[in-house]
Amino acid sequence: MNVAVTTRAPTSPAHPAPVFAMRGVTKVYSMGEVQVHALRGVDLDLHEGEFTVLLGPSGSGKSTLLNILGGLDAATAGRVTYRGGDLSEAGERALTRYRRRHVGFVFQFYNLIPSLTAHENVALVTEIAHDPLTPEEALALVGLEHRLDHFPSQMSGGEQQRVAIARAIAKRPDVLLCDEPTGALDISTGIAVLEAIGKVNVDLGTTTAVITHNAAISAMADRVISLADGQIANDVRNGAKLPASAIEW
Amino acid sequence: MRALDRKLLRDLWNVRSQVLAIALVVASGIALLVMSLGVFGSLSTTREAYYARYAFADVFAGARRVPNRVQEQIEAIPGVEKVQTRVVVGVTLDVEGVAEPVNGRLISIPERGRPVLNDVVLRRGRWLDPDRAEEALVSERFAEAHGLQLGDRVAAVINGRRQPLEVVGIALSPEFIYNIGPGEFFPDPLHFGLLWMSRRHLATAFEMEGGFNDVALALTGASASTERAVITELDRILDAYGGLGAIPRSEQLSHWYLQNELTQLQNMAFIVPMIFLGVAAFLLNVVLRRTIAVQREQIAALKALGYSNARLGLHYVQWAVAVVTLGSLIGIVAGLLLANGMLGFYMEYFRFPFLTYEVSVPSILIAIVVSLAAAALGAMGAVRSVASLPPAEAMRPAAPESFRVSLFERLGAGRWLTQPARMVLRNLSRRPLRAALSIVGISFAGAIMVVGSAMMDSMDELLEVQFNIIQRQDLSVSFFEPVERSAVHELAALSGVMQVEPTSGVAARLRNGHLQKQTAIQALAPDARLRRVVDVDYRAIQLDRPGLVLSTLLAEQLQVEAGDTLVVEVMEAARPVREVVLTDTVDDLLGVAAYMEEESLRRLVRRDDTISGAMLKIDSQAEERLFGLLKAMPAVAGVTLRSAALKNIRTYMLDNMSMVMGVNLLFAVIIAFGVIYNTARISLSETSRELASLRVIGFTRAEISSILLGELALLTLASIPLGLLLGYGMIAGAMSAFESELFRLPVVVEANTFLVSAATVLGSMAISAWTVRRKLHDLDLVAVLKTRE
Repeated sequence: MNVAVTTRAPTSPAHPAPVFAMRGVTKVYSMGEVQVHALRGVDLDLHEGEFTVLLGPSGSGKSTLLNILGGLDAATAGRVTYRGGDLSEAGERALTRYRRRHVGFVFQFYNLIPSLTAHENVALVTEIAHDPLTPEEALALVGLEHRLDHFPSQMSGGEQQRVAIARAIAKRPDVLLCDEPTGALDISTGIAVLEAIGKVNVDLGTTTAVITHNAAISAMADRVISLADGQIANDVRNGAKLPASAIEW
Repeated sequence: MRALDRKLLRDLWNVRSQVLAIALVVASGIALLVMSLGVFGSLSTTREAYYARYAFADVFAGARRVPNRVQEQIEAIPGVEKVQTRVVVGVTLDVEGVAEPVNGRLISIPERGRPVLNDVVLRRGRWLDPDRAEEALVSERFAEAHGLQLGDRVAAVINGRRQPLEVVGIALSPEFIYNIGPGEFFPDPLHFGLLWMSRRHLATAFEMEGGFNDVALALTGASASTERAVITELDRILDAYGGLGAIPRSEQLSHWYLQNELTQLQNMAFIVPMIFLGVAAFLLNVVLRRTIAVQREQIAALKALGYSNARLGLHYVQWAVAVVTLGSLIGIVAGLLLANGMLGFYMEYFRFPFLTYEVSVPSILIAIVVSLAAAALGAMGAVRSVASLPPAEAMRPAAPESFRVSLFERLGAGRWLTQPARMVLRNLSRRPLRAALSIVGISFAGAIMVVGSAMMDSMDELLEVQFNIIQRQDLSVSFFEPVERSAVHELAALSGVMQVEPTSGVAARLRNGHLQKQTAIQALAPDARLRRVVDVDYRAIQLDRPGLVLSTLLAEQLQVEAGDTLVVEVMEAARPVREVVLTDTVDDLLGVAAYMEEESLRRLVRRDDTISGAMLKIDSQAEERLFGLLKAMPAVAGVTLRSAALKNIRTYMLDNMSMVMGVNLLFAVIIAFGVIYNTARISLSETSRELASLRVIGFTRAEISSILLGELALLTLASIPLGLLLGYGMIAGAMSAFESELFRLPVVVEANTFLVSAATVLGSMAISAWTVRRKLHDLDLVAVLKTRE
């Protein structure tokens, strides 16, 4: 695997090879009849095992950034590589394969399939993944081993989000991308969800990126990047990383 | 089971009433297909087996009297395998307890052994004892109609003499599967029966000893050229003995009727089911598109998890396939049941000694493949939209639909509209194609109803024209032999007879080049009042020019038009061959015929002024006594009552049509309900947030119902005139497709039919509206507003 050239001074003392490298990434999309400039020339590297929090107000472009990293969306201009492979040039099939093998997603609104139980929602992934955890193992990892046969409508928001995390990590992804995972949750359930994400990051060593507009969450990150108006406004290392349970907002 | 398959099953279960509604539309199409094919297959197979087992002949011919020695000559014709000669005579019958005239046909069977051709099936009783003259086998339906038991007696009036016959057996024959009397159009077992008698005794009674007047042949091969050659040769041989012209099996009456019926079944097997499957494909498409729209976030999540476009496309195709499979299964079962019912009905009219069930499995497989294709077609567009859905975009809520001020409002009518009415109009005009397809779909329901009832209307019209305008006699009499015209006076002298008109006709073959047709030319008096020829507007045509008048269908078959010349080969008397000009064509409704003014016909045939029968108008008070007198007249071979014929046709129609109508009604309701209910459910799922918002700001349930149901009502009302129009078109098409020598139905649709059709559609709408309204009442305001979609 070749290492992408970095133009920005690495902030990590260990200088690990970047998992993702973005160069001059721009994204423009139409929302109804309006043109939205979501990203305006972003350069960014994400490193192995790193827990990154992307902060920013609504419309700052953080979701777009995450979607492009996850192969859900393509950049309008610029270059994105994953472990040296070019994502911006990949076709639909290659992106599907990429998502299937390497990426775990967690969304703000969980996006569980309402007609499937917790166990079955996780099975959706384990059935198509190579060497996955079992659904039981994945759900145990997020503390839901006792809720296997419940449908989404029978679970609280926090539980649903933990199912979504179990579903995301069951394939043992290389990267875990979370879009506002606590956005729809109250503090205590939000903390439980963050604990689950943190545990996966530590236990499985999964490179993790979490989008939030809640600055408090940056306390548990290795690195905090702020976006504003489609550009990176700030990028800092967090020297005093806290466990999720210690966070307050 | 895979998680995605579980999702499929649960999704289907969640919309089970919609799934069922579509499945029933599919089922209707498949049921019709399976029914038609099942009846067609069973009847064809049974017929073939019956023909083979009981040696149904290939060629048939009648003559006046042929000496027995000629049989050898016939056997020697190249291509002839077997020959069966017979004596066949038409008589009137005297059945105990029946005052009305009853006609019979006496058919000889050999003294020893069974007939070589056109064998008889003994259903009950025993074979004839050749030593006893007064024994007969009686046809099954005739026996049933009169409650005849073994040992009962029937009298045949033979040459004016009552010959009592004892019923020793009940029988069937492949020659008379569809058994109609002379001059009739429907089987009437009460007024026409077959009796088989021993050859010797029958020949004696009719002075036919040492001879025969009917011959049937079996051919060695099935080639059309052999058949033609044999017929030509047979005609040549019989010419000297008053041959009436040989006909191939395809023109044999019973076979021809049966064949006609089978052809209709075959036609029906494909056209109507296609309409149903087309509607089902449309419904699947609409429902799937909606399902996919509702599930766009789920689809996006599945894509994010790594599911490919192809796999997700397949998921939704399976959705359609599952619905169609369910429909096919219901349809196959229902179709088999319907086929069974139809066969029961057919067995009443077409008598077979046995029934071989034959449902062609490949045809059913084709049906399923076709319906799956319909499903795939329905799913196609919807599935393509899955593939084109970029996962990231699907995560965001869909952009608000672009609405426009509707055309109606732009025309300035908007100021009278309430806000809810505006919503209805804009909802409809946002998806004009879908609204149009819904209207077309519902209109099919109306059309099906129109077609069903209009069949009845047309039949009524046909009977009205045939029995009040064309044939106005109360009864018609036929003679064994042509008699002197003075017989008219004898008939007129009978008390109770108010009016008499002679009938006469000659057997003839009409030829135009290589096209030819065996028929009878009927003589008509220029001033005929009882039997008339009418034009398109049902006005009587005066036959005052020499020349031939043909039924339009007959003229078309011979490819001649008014003004053309035809060759007429008379099959009687001196058997002249003449060229005759076709002066006119008439649109006969029942049967096809050839007519000539009586004087010209007599000159053509060059025979004495004889008549072959008469038509009578009688005093109904004197009816019964008159029947007795007529039966006793030696010359009378048959008496046909108009009222009996009419009653018989009406019974047949009522039997047949009420079943068809019932099935049509069911199908119409299914299709109307399928379309309207699905449209309503989709509108509900699309507008539930809006409707809930309206409830929150203070609209009543009735008010929001009126928005949703107003849309339905508008679609349904728009579909009604279209349905009527479509129905009229379909009935016109069906009538010309069903047009046969048997009958030609006029296209008549009564106002009542339109009303019934509209009422059925509106009724279906009411049921759909009621079902959906209950859902509206259960609308959980908070939950609806909370969910993102």
